[in-house]
Amino acid sequence: MTLRVFDPTNEMKLAGIRPAPRLASLEGKTVGIITNGKEGTKPYFTLVDRMLREDLGVADVVWRQKKNYSAPAEAAIIDEAREWHAAVTGVGD
Amino acid sequence: MSDVVHADPAKPVLNSKVYDVADFAAAQELFHSNGWTDGLPVVPPTEKAVAECLDWALMPPDQLIGIEPVRAQPITAEKLAINAVMAGCLPMHFPVVATAWQAMLKDEFLLHGISSSTGGCAVLVIINGPIRLEIGASGTFNALGNSDRATSVIGRAIRLGLINLMDVRPGGIDRSTFGHPGKFSYCVAEDEEGTNWLPLAATRGMPDGVSAVTVMAALSPRQIMNEWTTDPKEILETFAAEMRANQLHYSIYGGNYAILIPKQLRDIIEAVGWSKRDVAEFLYERARVKRKDWANVGKAAIVRDRPEKVHTALESPDHLLVVAAGGPAGGFGAVIPPWMGSKTKAVTAAIGACVDCEPPKD
Repeated sequence: MTLRVFDPTNEMKLAGIRPAPRLASLEGKTVGIITNGKEGTKPYFTLVDRMLREDLGVADVVWRQKKNYSAPAEAAIIDEAREWHAAVTGVGD
Repeated sequence: MSDVVHADPAKPVLNSKVYDVADFAAAQELFHSNGWTDGLPVVPPTEKAVAECLDWALMPPDQLIGIEPVRAQPITAEKLAINAVMAGCLPMHFPVVATAWQAMLKDEFLLHGISSSTGGCAVLVIINGPIRLEIGASGTFNALGNSDRATSVIGRAIRLGLINLMDVRPGGIDRSTFGHPGKFSYCVAEDEEGTNWLPLAATRGMPDGVSAVTVMAALSPRQIMNEWTTDPKEILETFAAEMRANQLHYSIYGGNYAILIPKQLRDIIEAVGWSKRDVAEFLYERARVKRKDWANVGKAAIVRDRPEKVHTALESPDHLLVVAAGGPAGGFGAVIPPWMGSKTKAVTAAIGACVDCEPPKD
């Protein structure tokens, strides 16, 4: 006898969340780094900073640190990020 | 329970995608191969079983339980019921699962942070009130283990919901370095009949007699033992020592700790007239370390220039969750540390009440 079962996953699609437009070049741009402040992120983002400036011609790299490394960045950081051309963030430990 | 009656039997009342499988074994392979389980077999979520859960809780399938604040994931009653059935829940267990999720979705619980952290914690669910007796949730023998059907399946429903509704799979959203067995199921009912103390939910503002759940982002339980004294302070010193150990070995920062005190030790503490509040105030004073103590456990590098700074395990006595639970004999106890200090807060919610409803205007 066939058994009919239901999908247990979240099938609802998120509205209004999509990737930002891609930049053709980082030359002369301002790039933000949002770090969670953990010890291991310091050398990692320091290297990213150097690569952005030296290899990709980024004009300015702005560092900001979240107060709570497990929570989203504060509204003030998000507001400031609107002025940047790109931002680097993500999982880090 | 009677069958749920549909207006049109040919049209499912549920909105989720359906799969037709040959039999029970095929259902297991479908769920395992899609990463929809915790590694254990699941009860196939059939329309009848899911609809009965919703019917029991008086929830339409599309009722919004809440929206996860960080990733904006909507959680509906239907999807929770599917996962509850998979975990082995009966309809009468479902209101506890739904209320626990309402509590977990509060901003202060920080669900995304606690479920994605390398710090590896689980969601501890503590049940209070008359519903414990109605569903057969036990707070005595083997508490925190396989004590009874109700706590086992309710705790598992929380985890399966996290896996399937929040993508909290190991290596996916779940980045835990280590998990612990509570990540299969972590639920306990308070032994309210075995104590004169107020139930946990009542100490956290719930009206007396109301059924409620408290959720806490929790590490694994650490057992203590002290059968060699009848002095309440000495008993609590053992709990304090375990809390201090966690501060030094895991995280020094204060947060919600839970302690489970079984009847043998409770009787001694209650006999001198100490309330849960007295216990919390004693442990607030005793569970604290200095930053320089880190040097004794290999963490001298982070003592820095503040060796005398005092860190309390609890930010205030209010942050201790004192739970009467455990078998009737044995001078043991359990200390359950928080995930990461006060980055998350325990949340208590009433079962069968709308936690977001506005009060009457008159």
